[in-house]
Amino acid sequence: MKLLTCPMNGIRPLSEFIFGGEYRDAPDQKTCSDSEWAAYVHNRSGAPGDKKEWWYHSPSGTWFIAERNTLSDKVSRTYLLSANTNPTQEQAK
Amino acid sequence: MQALTPNKAIKLDAKISPAAPAQSGANVKWAVMNEMQIATAFASAEVEQARQKVLGVTDVSCFPRYGFKGPQAAQWAADHELAIPSSPNSWTLSNQKSLVLRLGGSEFVLEDQIGGIACEKLSIISARVAGVYKVPRADAAFILTGSAVLNLFTELCSLDLRSSALLANDVIMTQVAGISAIVIRQTHNGEPIYRIWCDGTYGAYMWETLIEIAVELGGGAVGLASYQQ
Amino acid sequence: MSLRTTKQNGEWLDRTKKINFTFEGEAFTAFEGDTISSALWAAGQKVLGRSFKYHRARGVLSLANHDVNILVTDGIDTNMRADVVLVKDGMVLNAVNTIGGVKKDKNSYIDSISPLLPVGFYYKAFHTPRRFFPFWEKVIRKAAGLGIVNFDYPRILKRKLHTHCDVLVIGAGPTGLTAACVAAEAGLEVTIVDENQQAGGSLGYDRSGNVATASQLTDLLAKAVGYSNITMITGAYAAGYYPDHLIPIVAANGITKVRAKTVIVASGAFEQPPVFRYNDLPGVMLGSAAQRLIYRYGVKPFNNGVVVTANDYGYRVALDLLAAGTKVVAVVDLRAEASPMAAEVAKRGVKVYPGHCVYEALASSDKSGVRGAVICAYDEQKNLAITAKKITLECDGIAMSAGWAPAGALLYQAGTAMQFDYAVQQFVPNRIPDGIFAAGKVNGIFELEQRINDGKRAANEALRYLGLSAPEVAVEKHAGASPSHPYPMVPHDKGKNFVDFDEDIQIKDFVNAAKEGFDNIELMKRFTTVGMGPSQGKHSNMNAIRILAKIRNLPVEKIGTTTSRPFFHPTPIGHLGGRGFHSHRLTSLHQWHADHGAVFTDIGAWKRAAYYPAAGQTKEDAIQTEAMAVRQTAGIIDGSSFGKIEVHGPDAAEFLERFFTGVYTTQKVGSCRYVMLLDESGVIVDDGIASRLADDLFYLSVGTSNAAAVYREMQRSQQMWQLDLGLVNVTGAFGAINIAGPAAREILATLTDLDLSYESFPISSVRESFVAGVEARLIRVAFVSDVGYELHIPMVQVPQVWQALLEAGKKHGIRPFGSDTQRLLRLEMGHAMPGVDTDGLTNPFEIGAEWALKMTKDYFIGQRSLQILEKKPLRKRLVAFVLAENFKGEMPMDCNLVLEGREILGRVTSIGYSKFIDRCIGLAFVTPAKTTIGAQFQIRTDNGSSVTATVVKTPFLKN
Repeated sequence: MKLLTCPMNGIRPLSEFIFGGEYRDAPDQKTCSDSEWAAYVHNRSGAPGDKKEWWYHSPSGTWFIAERNTLSDKVSRTYLLSANTNPTQEQAK
Repeated sequence: MQALTPNKAIKLDAKISPAAPAQSGANVKWAVMNEMQIATAFASAEVEQARQKVLGVTDVSCFPRYGFKGPQAAQWAADHELAIPSSPNSWTLSNQKSLVLRLGGSEFVLEDQIGGIACEKLSIISARVAGVYKVPRADAAFILTGSAVLNLFTELCSLDLRSSALLANDVIMTQVAGISAIVIRQTHNGEPIYRIWCDGTYGAYMWETLIEIAVELGGGAVGLASYQQ
Repeated sequence: MSLRTTKQNGEWLDRTKKINFTFEGEAFTAFEGDTISSALWAAGQKVLGRSFKYHRARGVLSLANHDVNILVTDGIDTNMRADVVLVKDGMVLNAVNTIGGVKKDKNSYIDSISPLLPVGFYYKAFHTPRRFFPFWEKVIRKAAGLGIVNFDYPRILKRKLHTHCDVLVIGAGPTGLTAACVAAEAGLEVTIVDENQQAGGSLGYDRSGNVATASQLTDLLAKAVGYSNITMITGAYAAGYYPDHLIPIVAANGITKVRAKTVIVASGAFEQPPVFRYNDLPGVMLGSAAQRLIYRYGVKPFNNGVVVTANDYGYRVALDLLAAGTKVVAVVDLRAEASPMAAEVAKRGVKVYPGHCVYEALASSDKSGVRGAVICAYDEQKNLAITAKKITLECDGIAMSAGWAPAGALLYQAGTAMQFDYAVQQFVPNRIPDGIFAAGKVNGIFELEQRINDGKRAANEALRYLGLSAPEVAVEKHAGASPSHPYPMVPHDKGKNFVDFDEDIQIKDFVNAAKEGFDNIELMKRFTTVGMGPSQGKHSNMNAIRILAKIRNLPVEKIGTTTSRPFFHPTPIGHLGGRGFHSHRLTSLHQWHADHGAVFTDIGAWKRAAYYPAAGQTKEDAIQTEAMAVRQTAGIIDGSSFGKIEVHGPDAAEFLERFFTGVYTTQKVGSCRYVMLLDESGVIVDDGIASRLADDLFYLSVGTSNAAAVYREMQRSQQMWQLDLGLVNVTGAFGAINIAGPAAREILATLTDLDLSYESFPISSVRESFVAGVEARLIRVAFVSDVGYELHIPMVQVPQVWQALLEAGKKHGIRPFGSDTQRLLRLEMGHAMPGVDTDGLTNPFEIGAEWALKMTKDYFIGQRSLQILEKKPLRKRLVAFVLAENFKGEMPMDCNLVLEGREILGRVTSIGYSKFIDRCIGLAFVTPAKTTIGAQFQIRTDNGSSVTATVVKTPFLKN
């Protein structure tokens, strides 16, 4: 079973995680056309390569981003989406 | 909202440990501790002491707990004279008798050990503070003792929980027997012991599973009375 | 006649412990440590099993866990591999694939009609005429498969364990043991695994008649055992490679999943049989099998043998046979060039025939063994036997040494790119993934000293991979004669020269497959079934590749190999199942439900009380009784499994506005609003109730099964939005009771000081008060009845309130009701349930939930998609329907189709009989044309009858 590094909890087996889909920026829903929005909602690029993905560490409830190459299945890095929620920073406050 | 006043006509009954549905048996002795009915003995003291040496499982769901989280949680704890672990996912003892777990960076669980009163002190604070959110706890909580504890974990948990891999004050949020749980290693009377917490609604399942394996490994259920000695 | 030798140095037997067992009704004795095959062979039993297809007699082939024609049953287990399974006292064994026993198998006639049964025969022969196929299917199914499944198999717990180590070494031969010692010396935690009962690998049996190798092994083992940081596991196989170095090790008593930081594969090589006519007779065996018989089990392979070889190993085998007291008639070497070892065996009086092949083995009169070998010159260029001058050698056995195939399954699974090394005529690793190292024979290193060197090299590379410093170790490439022959195949006009012993596949079968166009290795595998038997090609794939290469006139590396997948050996289902953890959540009322006869149902992770049948009461009756109580007086249900989430903080209302479809910023403290969650495409995910307890505190309750997912999505949204709030999942901390029915208010009033008048506590409002002395959140809902209160209380205190409610409601006839009854009650109310009455494509317009959408809001999840959907014509819509009064036909079921002729208009999503209304009521998706009140449509039942339904208004209660 694959291992994945949770930014908060360290290296864990994949069974502790839930995949949350590709991380994609939504178009501005106020200005985009219907077809642009439909493309965003329904179309995914299946081409192998580097992807940003949502992952959720279930026992701790941590959402984070993993940068993964879907061809080699290598995860190059994982991090919390926003530094604002980085607990180590909260602690520093 | 209107002020809360209890209806004086009705008496508060004891709560029951969430693991209790799995703890039936003629030999089980029960007592009320911290308003919760808990198993104090499952067998004779001699049998339980023998189990403790190999693999004893004790239900301590009745220990008082207090949870809080939020960006100001650490500050709030300091304001209330609570010692907190300095780094995420670690634990410390506050005033020797209250265990403080830091879950991630900004969530805390306080658990009074026998004789601890920190939860009671916090629970009477009703003022809500910005950036601090109370997390009601309804954990099932267990203590595992004995020489075969790690054998049990090799079947229930895929992480390496041996002392070489687990730091003394680490808090591990992982899966045990397929469900989310918190695991730490402590020292009690000079012996290493492991603690497990899980959602109370999984308590009976967790107890069943722990006991099934403990018995196979030569241990078994140990009542709170034996653990206290 | 017994073939047992005197005690061998290093043998695996305990000769002080005798074992008695029977095989096919005949009594045998053995020593502890014998396998079933070694014990039978020692006793002179030659026919140990029958082949799968032609039912040919078979004996020992490899003694290395690929003698798959020798499968036995002890009446409990089936398909036990006799070549490796230890014999136990009192065993009663029978071969699996015979009719009437191995010696007189009635199916052996199939062998004589084998020319009628070429590969591909089944695909072609039995499909026309079609009407006969069912008959043939029965015949073929009976013939197919091995062994009989024992349906009374005892449930024996096989544990699945997780362990961790720095270095996992696979294979405890000289290479692996050396690697383990080097890693252990560096202070690392090492696990070494070997599928054999004892460590040592070929060092234990490949001795060239020289006893010195035995002491070399003893020294190496003693060294390994001396390291406390080496965990040695024998009698267990590394079953597969999974990402990030997770290797399940399968032993008789369970699976250990080893997570290693680095893996050294020193799994050795499988000896490959040369192919000649009747190479499958009992008594014809691999050279290494003969050596294993001698040195592990103290058994002479035969008395008077011929060795056929195509490498130098045959000479080593000849010397081992001589040492065991077997007379070696001749060594027949396919290679024209004399081996440097030829002189050594010649010196011992053994005739050497270089440039010769065994053209065919001669079967004894009853076909149960070998009576001789016909040899002749061999043209190594054309790979043909030159039959002009044949010599017949009398013998009772033939040992075969022609070459090796790497035991590289785990390397392949890890993604290793292999290349063909002509120096050793073998595939060897070329590019290995990070952290995995190969050493020894699997790496193309054969000479013993160099294998030990290679073990050191691999271990040092592993140390460097782990960040330790370690010296470079030079390993000499293979020099001299290749350990494998490039084409050890001898064609024969009459065939029966077997390539795959599992499936009785001969050379001509490959030729035929290629002629049919199946000339790619993966296609050829499927057509001929080579490598598809229980040994998975361990002794046949390499020869198949060589044959295909020759047919296509291509170099071997252009043919490639078939895909290797776990498991390395067949792994019992019971092992994979393990203990079987079935985690489940119980509410604090579980014991009460059980004590009161509840029938439980699984909803998500929860065990919920579905209904409470009285003695002798049917499910349907119980549900109707409970529902009537709610309609006429009062009922209570344990709703503790509902999802419950608190949203704290100044931005709580703003969060809800973005997350759900409705408006929450204007929601008054003390009031409740409906929440509906959509996904980005506008599909309904879940719904529930938001109760505002304070300006900065909302309490959400959502359905049971989606609760975890809803909370997870809230956490994700908060990560993105970064609002000033905190989310607290209180699903397990709070329990809930719903008390509903006309008497609910009166009953509840006796337990609380709260003013329950409809004016001060109207529908869709929330209050905090004490109920039965317990702090509670009371929510006025109308989900199952117009009068209903959800009481949310700390989980551990639910039983106390529950008891108090039952007590207080006794005189009203209050009843508990279960989740199945709740389904009926909400249907009577006309409420659609997400996940029941919606599916993964349903949008709010399709269930008539426009009222729940605040399209003018700035943003909510799914809003933009709804703006698009809104403009499109509706394709289906959920309607409420009733069946005819006193309907007595076949009751339609959930998911039955709504049809018009052959056109599908929709489907039933919920249906049930309501005793209170005395009608069959339901919800269904239909086309917009069928949605007007009074419209009729047809539902097709499971048995195909057509039932008329009429569209009505909801709630049904007021119809």
